[in-house]
Formats: sequence, C-alpha cells, structure tokens
Amino acid sequence: MPMDQSIVTRIGDNASAPALRGATPATQVSKTSMRARAVLCNAASLVVALAIWELFAERAKSPYFPAPLDIYTAFSQLLQRGDILGNSLWTHVGASVYRLMVGFGLGVVLGVPLGLLMGLYKNLYVNTRAVIEPFRFIPPIAWIPLAIIFFTGITRYAFLIFLGAFFPVFTATMVGVGRVEPIHRKVFQVYGAGKLYILWRVVIPTVLPDVLGGMRVGLGTAWMTIVAAELTGGEPIGLGRMMVNYSELLRIPEVVVAMIMIGTLGFIFNEMLLLTEKYLFRWRWQVSL
Amino acid sequence: MAGANDIMVQVRESHEYGSHRVHERIEFDVRMNEFVCVCGPSGCGKSTLLDILSGVTKPTEGAVLIHGQPVNPKKQNISFVFQEPSTLPWLTVWDNIAVGLRVKNRPKDEVRSVVDGIIDVVGLREFERHYPHQISGGMKQRVAIARAFATDADLVLMDEPFVSLDQPTRERMQREVLDIWERRKRTIVFVTHNLEEAVFLGDRVIILSQTPARIRADMVVTLPRPRDPLSMEFTALRARCAALLSELSAVKNQEPGQREAGVRT
Repeated sequence: MPMDQSIVTRIGDNASAPALRGATPATQVSKTSMRARAVLCNAASLVVALAIWELFAERAKSPYFPAPLDIYTAFSQLLQRGDILGNSLWTHVGASVYRLMVGFGLGVVLGVPLGLLMGLYKNLYVNTRAVIEPFRFIPPIAWIPLAIIFFTGITRYAFLIFLGAFFPVFTATMVGVGRVEPIHRKVFQVYGAGKLYILWRVVIPTVLPDVLGGMRVGLGTAWMTIVAAELTGGEPIGLGRMMVNYSELLRIPEVVVAMIMIGTLGFIFNEMLLLTEKYLFRWRWQVSL
Repeated sequence: MAGANDIMVQVRESHEYGSHRVHERIEFDVRMNEFVCVCGPSGCGKSTLLDILSGVTKPTEGAVLIHGQPVNPKKQNISFVFQEPSTLPWLTVWDNIAVGLRVKNRPKDEVRSVVDGIIDVVGLREFERHYPHQISGGMKQRVAIARAFATDADLVLMDEPFVSLDQPTRERMQREVLDIWERRKRTIVFVTHNLEEAVFLGDRVIILSQTPARIRADMVVTLPRPRDPLSMEFTALRARCAALLSELSAVKNQEPGQREAGVRT
C-alpha cells in the first residue's frame, strides 16, 4: 500500500522525532555549561585547598611544614638544576612513567586475553581458581624481596607493576564476558557467523567498557607498586627514589614535590583513560566516573 | 496452484528439550514467497520452531530442508527478527542494519547501497547516526526488520516481532512488513499469538496445539489484499481460528497433523 505509506511514515516520525529533536540541542547546551561550571568549581576548590594549606603553614612556622610557595621553589629548582645527583625532575618522571607503562602494558596484554579465555570457557576458571585466586591476595609489595633476587633493572619494576595491574584487568574482563547477551550472539549466528567473528564483533565490544574500568583500577595499583618498588632501592632515578634521597636529607619540600607529581601524573593518566572511554562508549547512556 | 518445485522449506521434525517433549511430528511445507503465520497457545514451542527453522537449534528427530538441503545458516540465506530488542547498542542505526550484510561479507558498495535503500523504506533516514538508546522501542524494532530484509534472505523468520509495540505502531509495522514483502517477494514464517495479526498477514495460518505441540490446523487464507479486518470474511475466519485455539485449551489434543480448510482450500 504505497498510498498510505507516506502518511503512515509521517505519523510515526512525528510521534517520536520532536521529542528527540527538541531534546538534543537543549541537553547539549546544558552539558557544555555544566562542564564549564565543573571546571570553574574545581579550580576554585584547588585555590581554597592551597589557601588552607598556606594558612596552616604560616601558623606552624616549621621547616618540616613547608608552605605551597616552598613547594613551588623546590619544584622549579628541581626542574632547572636537578637533584643532588644532577638528575632533572623530568628524568625521574620519565623513568617512573617508562617503568609504569611497560609493567602496566604487560598487565593489559596478558590480562585481557586470559580474562576473555576464562570468561568464554568458564570451566577453565572454575577448575583452576584454587591456583589463581590466592595470587590475587599477595600484594605486589610482598613480591619485592623475590623480585630483588630474581630480576634487575626494568624487569624488576615491570614485574612488580605487572602484578599490580594484571588482576584488576583480568578479573574485569572475565566478569565482562558474562555480560554478553545471548540475543546479540544469536543475531550473528542466524547469519552464519563463526565463533571468531562473534568474539570480535559481540564479545569484545561488550567487554571493552569493563576492560577500561579494570584498567583504571589497575593503574592505581600500578602507581602504588612503582613507588614502593623504587623506595626499596636499585637504580638512582625514579620519583620514588627521589623521595627517599630527599627524605634522608630531611628536605620535605622536594619529597612533597615528588608526591604531587605522582598524584598529578596518576590523575592525568586516569583522565586520559576516561576520555578514551567517553569516546569509545558514546553508545552508552553514561560513563561512570 | 503449487507445483512440487515451488516447495522451498520442508519441515519434518519432533523435538525434546531435556525430558520434555516440545514438538510432536511437526510436518509442513512452505512454498516460495509464501507468508506463513504460526499461532498457538503460549509456551507451546513456537519460538523453538523458529530456532529449528533457522538452524541454530537442531531438532532431536527429523530435519528441516531448504531447497532440499539440510538447513545451515552458513550456507543458506536466512534472517531472523526477534521478539526481544536485538539491536546492538554499540552500533549506530545504520551499522545495525548492515550487520547481516557484513557477516555475509558482501562488498562495501553493495552494503552501502542496500542499507541506504532499506533505511528509507523503514523511515529511519534521519536517525541513521543515532545509537539504539537514543531511539524509541518501535524504531528499534524497525531497525531489526530492516536488518532482516537487507540481506535479501530466502527465508525470513519473525518471532512475535510486534508484541512489545503499542497498537498503532503495531498496525503500522504490519503494513510496512506487508509492503516490503509485496515489493520484494520472499518467504516468511511469522510466529504470533495474535490471531488478527495472523489472518491479516498470512497466506496461510498454522495453528499449533499445546505441548507437545502438534499441527492442529493448517488453513489457507484467500482473502484479497489489502485485507480489511472489519470485513465479514475476515471476522469469520478470525472467529474460526479463535474457536480452534479455545478448543485447544479445553479439549485434549486430537489426531496430529489434521488439516482444516480455510475459507477456500
């Protein structure tokens, strides 16, 4: 019936379109203004926090309680002249970030496929969990003695960070596979799609949000591990190492600079992952923070 | 009116799920380009019948043949419209419609032209870049229908595709499906528990009994199209189907495979 099809289609479109058309610009406007507001509020919070810190520092009047300005001085000194051994701040940052990326990358590269495998073949996990699970409860820091004996240099750090990053990624991936809807598989099966095709087109897209979530958790653990690992010795560079050097000299501002660097870098990495999530998962209602 | 060559689908199967007998000697043929509606009490194994027809589920006894070959989704061109929402949330409307074509590895140009063509037929042109969560339930079901018709499937299986839609949308979708079917002829097996829908759409209405399901009636509907649900003939036929169905819930199953005449056989 081509005759009423045009009428019919128009009725249907009218019923649903205005709500959408009306909603999209409105929400976009409020979204950008909300984002601008959030940025402003965060900047204000930062200023207030610094002011409170300054206030306390003035009251304390102690060399062990540096004020924000002391931190800034220490920061620019470290940038320009480097530390007591002549290594610049960026050398330390670079060393820590490099170790982190290698270990964290290893955790993702092994955690995702293993998580997929054990999620797809549940029996594999069910029958081996007595071996796998206890490892989850051994903190990476507890591996440091063994790591010092068996590994040196980058391999030691990479191993320890890998331990920290692996389990969050692995567990999130495995749990995510369980979220694959049977109907989505079936859509592909009726067209004759094979197992690999379904893995790539259904399982991976479904699991990806969980993987990114696991990566963000793993990133936190990785930072914890890298600092602990660097504190215990080894090479003279790295943010953790720098902290130890200055704490032995009782120079608190430099220690705090290292702390702030770790916090800020972690924050930047996390934001980068969040942006990736927001871009990759536009199809979802919301992205968790 | 039908020669033996016209037979496209041959169903000869019985099926058990665990120790539960679901289908008892379900035997029927579907001709090329025929629109067959399957009705039956809820829980009688209608959806299972479609799973078996699609080749995703293997019957415990017997087989389904398409053009004389055992059904196999890798070899034959079958598509399926599911009862529940089946759009993939991570793909846009456009990419959702293209899913079947991409599984079948059709060339890019073909995918583009086919999807662009069918998206107009289902009236989703201005929503092609939207994601499923941004459109209504009725539109999602139109996406699923467009996807099913995009592959030019020899056999389209539809499992109560309109059950979750409101009445006006449902009626419009029924007409849209008929419209597509009339423009591009193909074979459809359509499961519904709504008799009016079955009589409105089908060339044939097959009524299944309660489990273990048997074919209770197989009626040819010869009312001219477009059909008027308010006409005398339509209401009479619908009443007849309703009587058969209510009889089913009251009386025990009769002889399997019994055929009843429709308005004209």
